[in-house]
Amino acid sequence: MNPSMLTTDQRDALQELTNIAMGQAGASLATLLDEFVDLSVPRIRIVEVADLPAALAELVGKNNLVSAARQSFYGHLRGEAIVIFGEPGCQALADLMGFEGDLGEQGETELLLDVANVLCGACLGGMMEQIRNFTDTGGPAELSFSMPSLMARQVTAGQLIDSKRVQWSHALLLEVNFTIKNRDFIAHLTMLMPEEGIDKIRAIVDEFLEAF
Amino acid sequence: MNAPPLFNLAETVVKWVDVGIFVLNKNFEVQLWNNFMAHHSGRLAEEVVGKSLFEAFPDLPKPWFTKKVNSVFLLNNFAFISWEHRPYLFRFAHNRPITGGADHMYQNCMLLPLKAEHGKAEAVCVVVFDATDTAIAQNLLKEALETISEISNRDGLTGIYNRRYLENRLSSEFDRARRYGGTFSMILFDLDHFKKVNDTYGHLAGDKVLVEITRRVKEKLRSSDVIGRYGGEEFVLILPQTPLDGAHQFGERLRQMIAAEPVIFNDISIPVTISMGATEYRADMPGYAALTHQSDVALYVSKGAGRNRMTCYAPELEAADAKP
Repeated sequence: MNPSMLTTDQRDALQELTNIAMGQAGASLATLLDEFVDLSVPRIRIVEVADLPAALAELVGKNNLVSAARQSFYGHLRGEAIVIFGEPGCQALADLMGFEGDLGEQGETELLLDVANVLCGACLGGMMEQIRNFTDTGGPAELSFSMPSLMARQVTAGQLIDSKRVQWSHALLLEVNFTIKNRDFIAHLTMLMPEEGIDKIRAIVDEFLEAF
Repeated sequence: MNAPPLFNLAETVVKWVDVGIFVLNKNFEVQLWNNFMAHHSGRLAEEVVGKSLFEAFPDLPKPWFTKKVNSVFLLNNFAFISWEHRPYLFRFAHNRPITGGADHMYQNCMLLPLKAEHGKAEAVCVVVFDATDTAIAQNLLKEALETISEISNRDGLTGIYNRRYLENRLSSEFDRARRYGGTFSMILFDLDHFKKVNDTYGHLAGDKVLVEITRRVKEKLRSSDVIGRYGGEEFVLILPQTPLDGAHQFGERLRQMIAAEPVIFNDISIPVTISMGATEYRADMPGYAALTHQSDVALYVSKGAGRNRMTCYAPELEAADAKP
């Protein structure tokens, strides 16, 4: 079987795992911003890294400018999470967080990183919590996180990742739209993982399937 | 086999590890204060523990740090602070008095929720990392990159911006006007019969003319105006916040000033005139290339009409076959 493929059952199970985790991420974001946050059902798939730039361009729109933050996680799963923000999102966020007028580049970056950190932490933390509920093999499902950093500002999605420089083979692509009231705010969460990370995800999903 | 330890391992490690560790409860009272914090702040654990952090350190950025710590309690999630956004949380001296390059310690901080049995954060542990070495290295790198980019954006002869930079700048001015409104103008100008100058007086004389004209124009610019050499004897001016009639007046002044005084090279007096074409940003332009095109059209009209003059772009000019 092509390593990038998931069976329908596996995909459904992963979808279910991430739905709950994403719900928590949405709730955390709502708490942080003190606003009602709506989120779409996450769309999930595994893509080969070579196809990632094209996949991202398709997600966020080919010519739209985006900003992105990255954060590493390690422990039960290892990989790198990337949160991609649509262009209007930055200003909407700044407004929401009560920053008036021009936030300055530093302030905006700090804000993006805070939000990325909350989304990654809540989503992955939520996934770990789900995993702890049904599994007792493979050690404690805990993760550590590195400091988030900015990848790029105001670039097109295609420019975000140079797939030739990525050493890992696969990416778990999670597409979620967080919407805040009447504002345009879209965030896409992507996780890049090495081969064994994807294998581990598959093993976890299989275990999840057996447990129910 | 294992003898009971002579000391509490975790406690000793926390005390002596070379990163700052302190713990706050929900009232921002210090619960733990390790040696790194004590030695750098000059405040011992005995003086600080049990006290409010902000009373002990009134210089801390209270509203911002409160918000940050509260988000950890609220979301049960870690948070980070990077020196790149805030150089430091505590203003500590750094450990490089000799190699220097910084007047304080740069810090990265990590805020961890300390969760009780029920899973909710009851305290927040703040870990302070000394990032001075990284910060100094990164700042040096940044300076080096700025120098490289500055060099790669300059014209070797005149020292003004080159075509590469002008294209980027036009594009970013265009995007800015499109996003935030306002306008800006672009002037393209050519030294008239420049080839003749080179052929008659030699290339050194030609170079002198280019340098001298650049100097004269630069003297008249506002600090926000941009001048660059587009190629050969062709120059570009980008005038932010300037509508076309302003650009016209300004260009006229430049043209008259240059025509009024010949360039002197080795006691030879070389008369110089320029032909100019100008246009301004308009919201219905498809892209910044339209500006280059329109100022080019206007410039050719100036040349066709006998040179040493200024033309502002108008759509009617497109039809006129004014190319010399």
